[in-house]
Amino acid sequence: MPLTYPIAEQTLDNGLRVVVSSDRAVPIVAVNLWYDVGSRHEPPGLTGFAHLFEHLMFQGSRNVASGQHFSLLETAGASLNASTFFDRTNYFESLPSGGLDLALWLEADRMGYLLDAVNQENLDNQRDVVKEEKRQSYDNRPYGDSYERLVRLAFPEGHPYAHMTIGSMEDLDAASLEDVHAFFRKYYGPNNAVLTIVGDVSEEDAFDAAKRYFGHLPAIPTPPPAPDGTIGPMTGVQRDDVVSDVPSDLITMMFRLPVDGTPELDAAGLALDILAAGQSGRLNRRLVRDEQIAQSVSGGALPLIGGVSFGTLTGIASDGIDLQKVEDALLEEIEKLAADGVTAEELATVQAQAERDWLEQLATCAGRADEISHHALLFGDPNRINTRIDQIQAVTVEQVQAAAQKWIRAEGRVQVTYRRSESGEEE
Amino acid sequence: MSQVLTTPPPVGAPRPWKFPEAVTTRTSVGAPVHVFDRPGQYVATVRVTIAMPLIAEPRELEGVATIMSRTLDEGTELHSANEFAAALERHGAAYGVDVSSDALHVEISVPVSHLAPAVELLAEAITRPAFNQADVGRHVTIRLGEINQERANAGYRAREAFAAHLFDPSTRRSRPTAGRPDTIRPLTNVEVADFYRNNIGPERAEILFAGDATGVDVAGVIDAAFSNWTSSAGTALETPEPIYLPGNRVVLVDRPGSVQSQLLIGCAGPDRRDPGWGAAAVANHVVGGTITSRVDTVLREEKGYTYGTRTSFAAPRKGGTFSLGGAVRTEVTGAAISDALRILLEARDGLTEQEVQEAKDSLIRTAPLRYEQADSVAQQVGSNIANGVPIDFADTYLTNIAATTAAEATEAYRRYVGTDGLLVVVVGEAKDVRPQLEGLDLGELIEVN
Repeated sequence: MPLTYPIAEQTLDNGLRVVVSSDRAVPIVAVNLWYDVGSRHEPPGLTGFAHLFEHLMFQGSRNVASGQHFSLLETAGASLNASTFFDRTNYFESLPSGGLDLALWLEADRMGYLLDAVNQENLDNQRDVVKEEKRQSYDNRPYGDSYERLVRLAFPEGHPYAHMTIGSMEDLDAASLEDVHAFFRKYYGPNNAVLTIVGDVSEEDAFDAAKRYFGHLPAIPTPPPAPDGTIGPMTGVQRDDVVSDVPSDLITMMFRLPVDGTPELDAAGLALDILAAGQSGRLNRRLVRDEQIAQSVSGGALPLIGGVSFGTLTGIASDGIDLQKVEDALLEEIEKLAADGVTAEELATVQAQAERDWLEQLATCAGRADEISHHALLFGDPNRINTRIDQIQAVTVEQVQAAAQKWIRAEGRVQVTYRRSESGEEE
Repeated sequence: MSQVLTTPPPVGAPRPWKFPEAVTTRTSVGAPVHVFDRPGQYVATVRVTIAMPLIAEPRELEGVATIMSRTLDEGTELHSANEFAAALERHGAAYGVDVSSDALHVEISVPVSHLAPAVELLAEAITRPAFNQADVGRHVTIRLGEINQERANAGYRAREAFAAHLFDPSTRRSRPTAGRPDTIRPLTNVEVADFYRNNIGPERAEILFAGDATGVDVAGVIDAAFSNWTSSAGTALETPEPIYLPGNRVVLVDRPGSVQSQLLIGCAGPDRRDPGWGAAAVANHVVGGTITSRVDTVLREEKGYTYGTRTSFAAPRKGGTFSLGGAVRTEVTGAAISDALRILLEARDGLTEQEVQEAKDSLIRTAPLRYEQADSVAQQVGSNIANGVPIDFADTYLTNIAATTAAEATEAYRRYVGTDGLLVVVVGEAKDVRPQLEGLDLGELIEVN
């Protein structure tokens, strides 16, 4: 049964798509912008650029001083941030509804007039901050480079998903102020974004406010689309075996999966859930509980819009257990699922888990706004947030097996392993 | 109709807000049940908070409370571990436990439509655990592996060293909540079952529901599920006040291969019983609570040393801490510590009226966001119960913040930060960091491998 969150849409004359979901039961409002630019749009030599740019969006704009974006919103009671991913860049804030105008004004000022404030000094500073982010999130933690290694193997060189959003520090070092300005002019404009407003405001007032603050911004020339990433399942096996000072031996396998928004991707994602999700997943039962060869297992699908998605399975070996055993068991379970399929009970379980996840995602104005922007920008249909559970429930055991047979196979994978060197062993 | 506005539009006054109210009843065995009806929250949290002070653990078996808590759902009198997980997850529920220094929290989140069967399973885990040795032994092994992972984690190492050097060894909090290898290895199902028998029972428990209760007799569902819970555990011990170690000192934890230094700088702080708890939160917000605070304005936005740092006053039931935490690149470790200490100590000279007003506005106005989701209400109330404050403590806290003056915020901060010295913990590449610490006047240097 579909959910009933109200959805109203308008497109302004300058091309800005505005979506409003009114909810007067809470005293807050969420503002969420998805720009159609992510790391998949970055040409060779400019990797990490979409993300660096996200940082610069907080450094002030024509009428907003450096630091003022945060301080004005925080004082108004906002929680705010931004994120960059393969497919898009997202800016958001939630705050008491009396601050809606302020939030829209700040977002519009940087959408229209960021470049007045971007200079060499804040470019250099935020480049340093991003380098620290990379050190903190990737370089200074065990296995931190695993996804970077995996996407490099899973996709051909130059493929939009062959590099991570954080990018290469060499590319960031080479970025000039001119590059930053060009990037902004190319991608940041009202006709390349979705603005979602959710919460304590009427539809009429929300649309009026969107027009008031964004209506005067000129459209930009239609940005070039991201390179087409359409590519089929993997053939063959590629490995990257790392010996390093890790706490335990670990293996992660990556598979290409169907593009987001298709029943086939939902089916493939549910197949990975049946293997790896929760305490009752097949891998946890066998590797962790019954055979005790792994300390933990995890995995799942990462939906993407650019022609292909990917999914992973990870196992951390128990102390004293050869990682090869974990790998063999993972492969056996993968092939068993492809050959024998799944039970109705298993499918119903992961569908019930997906339903809870989805309801939790929509439980806050901020979460709802994010999914509305997501579905409006990438699929052109924000109403899908109300039918998402039905889509997941509609997947059959036959579809799960078919998707697994095609995409999640022992002979069509890449993997990275981390093993402790002899000298690095504990005790 | 559209025009360019060159100054920020005014912000309208926020609607009045209070922490959600509970309807409180008792189960037939006496445990209080607090029902927070949150219309529109279709995923409910049911949280059982059980007073479980870690001082009840024998010194040589520390971690037994954690292993006991983690094996509650690993086989019950009615279901094997695999059967239990399958049954719970089939209802769309997620199950979790959390052990703090004062309490055990066991909870499920579940679509309200599946509430009753999921609550029955939650009750089964809490009231009828089997503690089979196969399952306990497996969790001991998993905990030992987890300790390896913790040792590789710079943030964890910093917190561990901070606790070990801020508290006297006689204080339980000086050592890890979940135990160390030598106290974990001896554990079997005998010690685990003993600990359960002596410490878990309805006299120590409060049960919370937060979610959309429309058309559901939530208290009835909970009472039915927990009606047979009996125990001889009695009431919990009261944890003694912690003993802090004063003075300036620096602890350098060698973590070879590090490309950043993980910093944790701090001292004793108030707990929630302190009338200055709200004023301390205001001061914290100004000094290091946000990206626009005094510390990050310099360390991140001016100098680019870090992705971000934060300060916090944190407190369990008794005895709080203040700390500044974050990671900076190895080459600037000394400079970053020097800047951080200067900013922390200069704040003792006074916080401005404007800073304090902005911090108050931010803390008060973000409250409805913090408690929008049902689960966050359950988290907050569970934490209030564990900390020994009323379940609507959030209202008291916000009232105190609203009444705080700049002088009071400064005073609350001065009472703790820099008064009895500061402990500086650095986790990083010792050979590169050590020379940078010379000449910083941080007190005694203690090196840890």
